[in-house]
Amino acid sequence: MNSRSRFSGFFWLCISIFVCIESVQSGIGTFRSPGPGFLPFWSGVALGTFALILVVSDILKKKEGQKNINLWGGKRWRNVILILISLFAYALLLPKLGYLITTFWLMAFLYSMIGRSRLWVQGVSALITVLVTYIIFYVWLEVQLPKGVFGF
Amino acid sequence: MDIFHNLLYGFSIGLQPANLLACFIGVSMGTLVGVLPGIGPVGAMSILLPTTFRMSPVSAVIMLSGIYYGVMYGGSTTSILVNIPGEAASVVTCLDGYQMAKQGRAGPALGIAAFGSFIAGTLGVVGLMLFAAPLAEFGLRFGPPEYFAVILLGLTLVTYLSQGSVIKGLMMAAFGLILSCIGLDQISASPRMTFNILQLLDGIDMVPLVMGLFGIAEILINIEESANPEILETKIKNLFPSVSDWIQAKGAILRGSILGFFIGILPGGGGVISSFLSYSLEKRISKNPEKFGKGAIEGVAGPESANNSATSGAFVPFFTLGIPPNVVMALLFGALVIHGMRPGPLLLQDHPDIFWGVVSSMYIGNVMLLVLNLPLIPLWVQVLKVPYRILFPLILLFCLIGSYSLRNSSFDVIVMIIFGIVGYLFRKFAYEGAPLVLAFVLGPMVELNLRQSLLLSKGSFLIFFSRPISAAAIIVAIILCITPVVSYFLKIKKNTNPLLKVI
Repeated sequence: MNSRSRFSGFFWLCISIFVCIESVQSGIGTFRSPGPGFLPFWSGVALGTFALILVVSDILKKKEGQKNINLWGGKRWRNVILILISLFAYALLLPKLGYLITTFWLMAFLYSMIGRSRLWVQGVSALITVLVTYIIFYVWLEVQLPKGVFGF
Repeated sequence: MDIFHNLLYGFSIGLQPANLLACFIGVSMGTLVGVLPGIGPVGAMSILLPTTFRMSPVSAVIMLSGIYYGVMYGGSTTSILVNIPGEAASVVTCLDGYQMAKQGRAGPALGIAAFGSFIAGTLGVVGLMLFAAPLAEFGLRFGPPEYFAVILLGLTLVTYLSQGSVIKGLMMAAFGLILSCIGLDQISASPRMTFNILQLLDGIDMVPLVMGLFGIAEILINIEESANPEILETKIKNLFPSVSDWIQAKGAILRGSILGFFIGILPGGGGVISSFLSYSLEKRISKNPEKFGKGAIEGVAGPESANNSATSGAFVPFFTLGIPPNVVMALLFGALVIHGMRPGPLLLQDHPDIFWGVVSSMYIGNVMLLVLNLPLIPLWVQVLKVPYRILFPLILLFCLIGSYSLRNSSFDVIVMIIFGIVGYLFRKFAYEGAPLVLAFVLGPMVELNLRQSLLLSKGSFLIFFSRPISAAAIIVAIILCITPVVSYFLKIKKNTNPLLKVI
């Protein structure tokens, strides 16, 4: 382990404190009559305790001179951010623009992201993907895909 | 005779065209997922779960089960030909399978993996038939304390036997329990941790959570790397192992089948652990242990048999006690709940069609898999050559459609993306998603049985120690929880680095 364990340990410690506060507000109750906050409270306590052990152990190990591992170096993490932005945009636009339009743009974007093919190939691939999935899910499996303001 | 009649009844269900089709789709998808590195059975099952909503419960479980044991078959192909495990349970197959392929014996390696899987899968189903009924009767004696204790033991075992840090596993289990509490309280119907978000009143749905943690996160990790697996360019011939191959492998197949089945029953067991244990067992009892890692056929036959029979074993506690022993079964549990069924001791009495239909479909599915995995090997090799830049947008799209179709709501899509980010960060920070999902699925059962037990005992925890089953389960769970701490203090005494191996 290294400082990533310490960092994540602190994060979980904060989460556990937050959960405990929320559980108290919901009502922990008593052992005789447990309330709605009973299980989340004790789960929060357990999470916090384990997180504390993780942080302490990491501090002890740090003294022994363990090296940190760079989690982001040499990785194409910008691709990850771009994909996440596109997915969030997709989720927000899907009910407004409908399945066909939103999915076409998402697919065209994803195919272009790590592909080396020409623009028209990416466009045609996106179109085929949208139509095939539309037939499978909307026509065949009768999944209610959103139509959006344009009605398709 | 009862079993024979029930099995015939099962075949009358399993052989119905709709169920045959569901079985075929399941095992084909399972093989495909097993062959493709990067997406495991959990991701595949969660992606395909929404497609089962319009099926009957029997067909849905048959298809999802088919994916589970189909993955175990398919995983060996990638391990043997590419030296990259298609899924975690085939990791150990790489050791000798790839060496055999390099020596020009890819055919016998693939053949013995498929035949071993077939024999083990069939023996596992026989075991499932024999063990299920008596265990279900035993399960009828369970009250809230027993259920709480056994589930707690299961969660502890899952974290204890997981590949990473035990402390991190326990943290994930605790977090899973917290997430399962979001929404209306089961008893008082008061909202908990909903933050005035209307959609959270129903709680977080399992499907977007699992799709995010396993499906989306896997894609994000793969996108970050630029690994292009190299497929061994070898001619695949002699898929039917020779007589000497059979003589060498027969013991390993039998031992792997028995070992895998019983490991599969244990909470936290399953394909990964059983395949590793089978490999070490074969190496230990071999007259030529030095052959292992250099192309020993027993090193392929044993683990591949073990991981297949473990899948059948995992169905035993699932069907009889209603307790999923691993994350894949937790997903199957969720699927049955969506269809209005609850696995448990009463399932065999109330819905014998589901149990016997699934059992018969496993026999049928094993035959289908043998056909799919031997003559069609060249096809699966071609699948391996599909570029990831084509695969990943499709997988993403299936995840998006799957999560949207649950409640026709973009909220579930956003939940899935958020858990995708969470899962991605989990990988980065070495946390495992499996204990979280299992705790999330079992959370409502844990809460209900814990609160009922405390109400029955008027607040006394002694209720868990006054009954033999719950006492034994709780004591083992406590031992497993405190072992890392005890080990820590022992190492402090020895003045060595205390937590390096424990945490």
